[in-house]
Amino acid sequence: MKKTKLGEFEELVLLTVIALRKDAYGVEIKRELEERLNETLSVGSIQSALKRMEEKGYLTSVFGEPTQKRGGKRKRIYTATPAAHRVLSELKSIRAGLWNSMPRLVHT
Amino acid sequence: MHTPESIQPPRWPITVLRFLLKKEYLEEIEGDLEELFADDIEQMSAFKARMYFIWNALTLVRPSLLRHIGSFHIQHHPAMFRNYFKISFRSLMRQPFQSFINIFGLSAAIGICIFTYAFSRWTYSMDQFHTHKNEVYLTTFYANRDGSDQQFGRSPAPLGAVLRKDFPQIKQTCRVEDRNVIIKYGDLVFNERLRFVDPEFLEMLTFPLKWGQTNALRDMNSIILSEEMAVKYFGSENPVGKTMLIKFDGERSGLFTVGGVAEAFPKARTISFHFLVRFENLQSADPSYDVTDWKTMVQATLVRIEHPEDVSIVQRNMAAYQNAHNAAASRDWAITSFVFEPLATLHQRAHRIRDDISRSTEDNYTTIYYLTAITLLMLALACFNYINIAIVSAAKRLKEIGIRKSIGATRSVISVQFLAENLVITLFAMIGGYILATHIFIPGFEYLWHFSMGFEFLDPKLWIFLAVVLVVTSIASGIYPALYISRFHAAGILKGSVRFGKNNPLTKVLLSIQLVLACMFMTCAVDFTRNTDFLSNRSWGYENREVLYTAVPDRSAFEQLRSKLLQEPNVLSISGSTHHLGKKHVTTLIQRPERAYEVDQLFVDAHYFQTMGIPISRGRYFPDEAQADQRSIVINETMVKHLNLENPIGHKLRIDSTEYSVIGVTQDIHVYDFSSAIRPTLFRVASPDITRFLSVKVRPGTQPEMYRILKNHWSSLFPEIPFDGGYQEDVWGRYYETIGIHGLVWRIFAFFAVAMAGLGLYGLITYNVTGRIKEFSIRKVLGAEAFSISALLSRPYTLLYGAALLVGMPLSYLFATHLLVASYPYHMPVSYTGVFIAALALVLVLALSLLIQIHRILKSNPVEGLRTE
Repeated sequence: MKKTKLGEFEELVLLTVIALRKDAYGVEIKRELEERLNETLSVGSIQSALKRMEEKGYLTSVFGEPTQKRGGKRKRIYTATPAAHRVLSELKSIRAGLWNSMPRLVHT
Repeated sequence: MHTPESIQPPRWPITVLRFLLKKEYLEEIEGDLEELFADDIEQMSAFKARMYFIWNALTLVRPSLLRHIGSFHIQHHPAMFRNYFKISFRSLMRQPFQSFINIFGLSAAIGICIFTYAFSRWTYSMDQFHTHKNEVYLTTFYANRDGSDQQFGRSPAPLGAVLRKDFPQIKQTCRVEDRNVIIKYGDLVFNERLRFVDPEFLEMLTFPLKWGQTNALRDMNSIILSEEMAVKYFGSENPVGKTMLIKFDGERSGLFTVGGVAEAFPKARTISFHFLVRFENLQSADPSYDVTDWKTMVQATLVRIEHPEDVSIVQRNMAAYQNAHNAAASRDWAITSFVFEPLATLHQRAHRIRDDISRSTEDNYTTIYYLTAITLLMLALACFNYINIAIVSAAKRLKEIGIRKSIGATRSVISVQFLAENLVITLFAMIGGYILATHIFIPGFEYLWHFSMGFEFLDPKLWIFLAVVLVVTSIASGIYPALYISRFHAAGILKGSVRFGKNNPLTKVLLSIQLVLACMFMTCAVDFTRNTDFLSNRSWGYENREVLYTAVPDRSAFEQLRSKLLQEPNVLSISGSTHHLGKKHVTTLIQRPERAYEVDQLFVDAHYFQTMGIPISRGRYFPDEAQADQRSIVINETMVKHLNLENPIGHKLRIDSTEYSVIGVTQDIHVYDFSSAIRPTLFRVASPDITRFLSVKVRPGTQPEMYRILKNHWSSLFPEIPFDGGYQEDVWGRYYETIGIHGLVWRIFAFFAVAMAGLGLYGLITYNVTGRIKEFSIRKVLGAEAFSISALLSRPYTLLYGAALLVGMPLSYLFATHLLVASYPYHMPVSYTGVFIAALALVLVLALSLLIQIHRILKSNPVEGLRTE
């Protein structure tokens, strides 16, 4: 896990970015995740997760179009990088492996 | 109604974010916030949406989004802070003198800060303890007086009863009327103020009872006492069930059973009582008092309206009562409108409402502004000292800073270290300030003014306030030194090429500001003290020093007492009157074609002017056979000016519908104390059957003896009635004491200001000398004279002083004069004395500081100064 440097919350955000594709920007990610996790998230936690992952090279971003609702400000649309896909599938396979070995580990 | 689109999110969180967050993130983050707000506003109230907006903005203040301000968050670990505190504590101990200057100054400033907090809290918590403070209203009315609409706290007597009947919105009403009576229990007989109220009084104004039942007032013959009065008559025992005799006047009296005793009233109150009895007793006390007559007034009518929105409905429908009153009363008292004043804010408005039952606290609110300004100035003075000393003493810590830097401390680390040190010092100062405030300032002030502010250590708001003061003060005083000291490069420091603290222009500017402020405080102290002396020598306009007075219950008592006094050889003149200077008068309206003028009015007999020594400037007094002169009045000079009378004698003036002719004009005399301007005043002939005061002029020097004789006559003539009189000089009781306090308070402020500036200056000179000890030693070895060394050391300070006083003296003069004029309608003639005394004191402080240091240089052994390790 340490090698990948991806926290659990970051992983969830990253997956949401991939799922939302063209709509992957701050508020939309927040909405989507809130619905799926069924809890309220703060703007700050989403934004800091996005920025951290961008620094780590898992996300790239471009500005979208400005809208009236946003007070004339542009959205920042996030896209996952190949590195992110790689890390996610690594994580998935690690987990899958663990799940598979569960009966052997848990002596019932 | 707002459409959702028109509601904007608050701006300030965005401003804060713009300051804190990385620039490249701002646009999308702001956009996100606005979008969320736009969504929220469709689903919830504007208030809630704004709250969410602020909350969302606050959650964005996170390390990964913040700008790199010195990368603070990475380098400071708790262990480091422990180290900083250790170091600051050690440096505090190592330099006791510097620490003393810093901590003393800050302590005094913080002490004053806490005092200001306590005073403001006390003022703003006035009457706030009442459970129904937001539901209870005082009925007030506006009437045209003296050319303007003025608000009065009284109301027509029948109003309370009809309001309760006519408006379902009004839950309760209560009438309040006060009378002076004599109360007797066993051997104890005193003049007291009795409050007649409806039984709802204690439900609307929730004063809890210590003994007895709140509903005791439903009983006609019950009386409720304040705790103070219960102690006065019954000591510590429970008096419920005991019987007290109330004498309403010479003939009427009644027995009342104690039904309850109130708990000690909260300190912050403007409305309270001594004795409560049922309102209906007023008719037996005063048969002429007609509660159904619309022109009769009660002291107050309180109403309780549970829903604040109903107040305006009631207020809109008051016209009928207004008309009922206006039809019955004289046109002097025509009501223009009724207004309900909520109890919660009554004390803040009280100074604008005439004759209301709530005591005015206007002065307290003004005092809060002054105190806040003074507190901030004192804090500034203390912070300046700290900054100055930190800058000049940085030299001592050069090596420490250099080493810290060379082993990798960045500028921000050093700044934080210094700020942390500052926090330690401020913390010490805060403890000192707290002790100063709670042991000296607050009790001292309470002692001077004879009251208690109810200051509490466990007040949570106090703790929040102290925390804010701590943080703000330590940052304000520490930020510049921290940034200044951390600026230098390690290499330069260690090589010795950096010279700290020398000739920092800021030091000079701050010291000058301190001097200017000290000069201002000093000038005020001198001026206010001198003004106190001036006012205590000021004449009241009449000869009050040889006059004794006493209240009398009626004419026959006056006659009895007078015949006794006439046998005394030291009595020069005796007068009987309905009103008395400094004790009682009424106001009335003079009807003039252009408008009505409000004037003060006193009913007096023909001997009053001689007895009181009121000088007449034109015309004559009332003649002895006063009955013949019922239509004559004597007016004062102010009234002549005010009414613009060119030839006052013989002039006809109309009061109500009767014409009176002016027969004399008196010089201006003070009917109020010197804190009020002299008002137009007129004297009318008193009808003998309402004689309420006896005044007697005695031979100079015999006042104490005559006072004793007067009291003896009184107690032998009227053993049942307490004596209520004294020296005319004392009618203003605490007035001189009060103005004396003004001077004292300014002297205290001036002491701290001068002490702080002086200590700061002394600290600076000391550091300067220490830093240049090598230079002075060389000069001494080479044979410099004491004079040239003194001149060398003094020159920069003398110049600085010159500049500071050049600015400070005119400023102080203007400031002190302005304050004096604003505080007293009558004050001493403005002069330059105060400024010169202040400047002289400051120059003395400088001279003393310089002398001590010059002495130190001259005494020191140059060998010591030149030795290097």
